[in-house]
Amino acid sequence: MAERYQQTPGRFPSPKGVLMFLLPLPVLFAAIASLARGHLGGLLGNAAGYALFLVGALLLRQGLLSEAEYDRRRVAKAPWPLKTLGGGVIALATGVTAWLGAGQPLVMAVAFGLAALLGCYLSYGFDPLAAKRFTDRDGVDVTDRVLEALTQAEQSIAVIEQSTRNIRNAELNSRLRRIVALARRVLTMLEEDPRDLRRARKFLNVYLDGAKQVTQGYAKTHARAASPELEDNFRRVLATIEEVFQEQQQKLLETDVTDLDVQIEVLTTQLKREGVI
Amino acid sequence: MPASLRKFIGLLLIFAAVGVASCQALVASCSTTAATPTVLTPR
Repeated sequence: MAERYQQTPGRFPSPKGVLMFLLPLPVLFAAIASLARGHLGGLLGNAAGYALFLVGALLLRQGLLSEAEYDRRRVAKAPWPLKTLGGGVIALATGVTAWLGAGQPLVMAVAFGLAALLGCYLSYGFDPLAAKRFTDRDGVDVTDRVLEALTQAEQSIAVIEQSTRNIRNAELNSRLRRIVALARRVLTMLEEDPRDLRRARKFLNVYLDGAKQVTQGYAKTHARAASPELEDNFRRVLATIEEVFQEQQQKLLETDVTDLDVQIEVLTTQLKREGVI
Repeated sequence: MPASLRKFIGLLLIFAAVGVASCQALVASCSTTAATPTVLTPR
């Protein structure tokens, strides 16, 4: 069985769910004030409340990011219900803060918690439950296969990026960065339209995997013994890889254009037959 | 219910619950006669 989808690291941070980090800040100040005044009860209550708020906000944020990725993809497994879990932890944190920090009676603290839970639900909603499945032309469900291929490709790109950091050559580094950017663009196109996966199989299995192995190998060898001949060979290989990646991207774009042409042609014929044009 | 209204009510509830509880906790910890949490008061 394929692994559940996980957020790809290294992207620009999104402001989603930041409110839940900012709103409970007075609880942190309350814990500091209790510490300064030597109120152990207040300190423990506020510290526990703030810790729960932080855990809840982290879960909620991760859930929102996973949901955004889920929405962006055409094929995806249902993400872990982190948003719902985060809402529950925030409700608990609100109740604990109201009870132990603010000194509210238990019934009122529960009411505070329920209001926070309802607020989280109304504002952020529940997590998506159904997987976005994909079937090929023969009607076979290939969701797991598509997700596995995309995850493997992401891993290969991550290895190339990691190896790039160990290569101390500005020219090779910039070339590798271009290759990584191209590979990501191709991957985005495949995520948006997994029907292209069959056409891009060679790119994923041969070129991307080869690029990963060569870069990884060069990063290791080059650290031990520098050789101008090896560097030249590596430069040549990178140039070829870059060319192949560009061709792949172009090919996918052209396929989209061809698909659209065919659709327009079919529609035109149909409209002509029905006497509309 | 429109999505924007639902979100607005949700945000109001979050501000009312989380914001009020947090500010009350801060006021309680800063007041000179600090409010003792009911759970910690001797019976």
